[in-house]
Amino acid sequence: MATKRHASDNIVGHGDLTKRVGVEQIRARGVDVEKLIDLLIDAAGAEFTTYYYYTILRMYLAGNEDYKEICEDARLEDRAHFELITPRIYELGGSIPKDIREFADRAGCPDAYLPDDPTPTNILTVLLEAERCAIRTWSEICDLTLGKDPRTYDMASRILQEEIEHEAWFIELLSKERDGVVRPSGHFRRGTPGEAPYSKNLGFYNP
Amino acid sequence: MPTFPPLNVATDPKTYRVTFILPDGSETCLEVGEDERLYAAACRAGLNLPCLCLQGWCITCAARVEGEGAWDQSLSLRYFPQDREAGFILLCTARPRSDLRIRTHQRVALRDYRISRKLPTPRG
Repeated sequence: MATKRHASDNIVGHGDLTKRVGVEQIRARGVDVEKLIDLLIDAAGAEFTTYYYYTILRMYLAGNEDYKEICEDARLEDRAHFELITPRIYELGGSIPKDIREFADRAGCPDAYLPDDPTPTNILTVLLEAERCAIRTWSEICDLTLGKDPRTYDMASRILQEEIEHEAWFIELLSKERDGVVRPSGHFRRGTPGEAPYSKNLGFYNP
Repeated sequence: MPTFPPLNVATDPKTYRVTFILPDGSETCLEVGEDERLYAAACRAGLNLPCLCLQGWCITCAARVEGEGAWDQSLSLRYFPQDREAGFILLCTARPRSDLRIRTHQRVALRDYRISRKLPTPRG
């Protein structure tokens, strides 16, 4: 059983560099900071591996240039998410694993492997389920931080909005490709590939 | 890569009695078809269990089988023989092959178990 923290544990002394007010304030508001860091690292691992695997999936959409471009948007935006999450992990006192293998192993969502039979339908199915896992992940992080940790919540909310758009894209494409049914995403195009209108708009650190 | 059947299959000719034991000690017993995933069956009965990837990877839905039991976990994208040896089951992708008694909400237990055996696992 964990020892209950005393309220004074949240006080950061004058000139004390071992604690961060930015961390202790959210802890005092009820955030389990260590759990949040672990969730963010798992999520960053998932965004990073997704970026990697989408690179391959994109290649096998050859001949379906519309699918390829949309996959490219999602791929680049997932990379932007990784770039957005990582600074927050370090701000909170965490760090990503030294070994990339460990990082990939702890990803919170499955590896988006190229299907054995890489038809557009099968690839779009992998893409769709990857986005759905991301939506559930970021919804959970929004729930954990709402009203307690505005900085992480703002970040998670921006990422979530893009993941929801990605899901809508892949539903539209898979529905037409597999079932011949039109289910519009409601979207048309990004201004530039991987524009990431939410996660790159006024990002606190996203080169 | 496994091919996922539809989530809800209610017409299976063969069914098993599956009891879900929740953290508050309450039990819910269901008839589950051999092709129905346990998580889907729990949802059908109104149980609100944790889940995330629904592909047998993230361990959010992890549970533990009490006593003897058989289940098919072949739909899972990452499930280790050691998980099975210790009785852990991933409800999102598991299908019954016998009557089962299952204690839900075992994500932390499975995470710690995998870490102790140096197996890959999400940490959060």
